[in-house]
Parts: sequence; structure tokens; C-alpha cells
Amino acid sequence: MNTTVKTSKNLERVSDIIDSLTINPNHDAISVLEEIGTNSAIDEVREMTARALVQRNEADSLSIVISSKGKGINDMSTVVAMSTINSLLSLEDKEGAMRILENTISNEGIEEDVRENARSVKALMALS
Amino acid sequence: MSTIERVSQWSHRIFNTTATEQNVRRSSNPFAKSNFQKNVLTADVLELSTKKNVSFTGGITQGTKRIYSTFVGSINDFGRRFYEGIESIKEFGIRMKNGIVGAWNKVCEIGNTEIHLGEGLKNGYNAVKNVLTTDVGQLFRTREKQIAAMAKLDPHTQVKPMLSDAIKALEEEITKAA
Repeated sequence: MNTTVKTSKNLERVSDIIDSLTINPNHDAISVLEEIGTNSAIDEVREMTARALVQRNEADSLSIVISSKGKGINDMSTVVAMSTINSLLSLEDKEGAMRILENTISNEGIEEDVRENARSVKALMALS
Repeated sequence: MSTIERVSQWSHRIFNTTATEQNVRRSSNPFAKSNFQKNVLTADVLELSTKKNVSFTGGITQGTKRIYSTFVGSINDFGRRFYEGIESIKEFGIRMKNGIVGAWNKVCEIGNTEIHLGEGLKNGYNAVKNVLTTDVGQLFRTREKQIAAMAKLDPHTQVKPMLSDAIKALEEEITKAA
């Protein structure tokens, strides 16, 4: 669903819940974000979810936004993909993200489109 | 002395001159110093203060009538010009009055505008002051507290249903808006 949501109480509520999952110390928060957030039909929700997964900066959360087809940097929505890439570039500690990117590029079991995106993002992060 | 000569002398006395002015006694003529077509009246033309032995034995001739009409015409003309002058002064006064009234209204209008502008500025200042004095950080702190409280909840059993409900409500809102 290609939707554009303006500021509303419901959007603020979703944003607050995703923010709480971002700082939630429980590792299960990542699976909740993947299951509910990344599969949402609303672009803004997917964008906020991908940003939250990047900010958690854990191997599992980064794998979702880097290696999963149709999620994070591979999202069909250009806004979501660019927002995820921007979040990756804004990370202070890029070591974990670079490792996930290299694994994705070198993994022949992953589709070529996803690997190509990972290669491009890796080049950007190397230059940043 | 013929009538023409007498009238000529009289006319000479009327429309002149400094030469005979000193010898003429003028007491009852209110227009003695008035200017009638650049002629200075030096004699009482309405009634002589000193009776002269002037007799119109020959009757009033055409020349006398012409002289009289010239004199009377000048008086009439003076009256017209005087009336026009009065009218012009009256019009000038009306214009001045209207101008002053208009200017006064303009001043009042500007004054009122300034008052309204001042009130607007005052209201704006109060609005800005209210915003600045409001503890905006408290609003953010309240939201941060709520997020921090949710972050302590179990993701699967507590947060997941909340997120599902919130996204469902958002989808319904978008559907209604569409």
C-alpha cells in the first residue's frame, strides 16, 4: 500500500511503541518489529521499523534490513530504502553493519539484487 | 459754466487725484480710501459734505448719464468683486473646514490603526510569552516517560498486541481518509 500518513494520534502511538521496542533490552523486540513492523502495508510504519532495527545495531536486526528481500534497504519503497541507508550511514559504530554487508555480498544463496544493494551500501559506508 | 464742464470738474474731483485731495474735506464717505479700478475716491460722491453751488440748470445730458453710469458701474463692479471675494473666502473656509475635518478623521483613523496594531503586537507578545513560559520540555518528558515505561514491557505478550492495535487503527484512519 503506497500511503502517505500525516501526523495523527494513531501515528504518534505507533511511533511511540516502535521507539519503545528500539530501546527494549529484551531481544524478542527484534522479532516483534520484524513480524509486525516490516510487514506493515503502511510505508511510514515500515520506515520507522527499519530505522529502529538499524538503531538497535545488533546482528539480527541488521540482517533483517540488509539481507532480507523487500525489507530495509531492499524495500520496494524508495523512501523506506533511502531512509534505511541513511540510518546505516549515521551509525557511530558501523562495524557490525559492515560485517553483515560483507556476509550478504559473499553469500551466494542470497538473490543477486539483494547482494547488489548490499555492495552499493557498503561502498557508501566505506566512503562516509 | 456749462453742465458738461461742471460734471467734468466733479468727475475730476471724484476720480482723482492727489493734487486736489488735500483740499477736499472728506468725512462721511466710508469708501474714501477704497480702490475703484485704480481710482482713488477723494470726495463724498453720495452726498457732499460741503454744499457746492452746482445746479443742473441744463438738465442731465447723455454725457452726464455716461459719467454717472461709469461711476455706478464701478461701484456695482466693486460689489460683484467684493461678493466674489467673499464667496471665495467662504469657499476657502469650507475647503479648510473640510480639509481639517478630513485630516482629523485621518488622524483618528491612523490613531485607531495604531491602537489596533498595538493591541495585535500586545496579543502577539502575550502569545509568545505564554509559549516561552510554558514548560515545553515537560511535554517531551511525559512522552519519553511513556516510551520508557513501554520499553520495560515484554515484547511478545504485551507490546506486540499494542503495536498491532495501533497499526490497525492507523490503517482504518487512512482508509476513512481515502
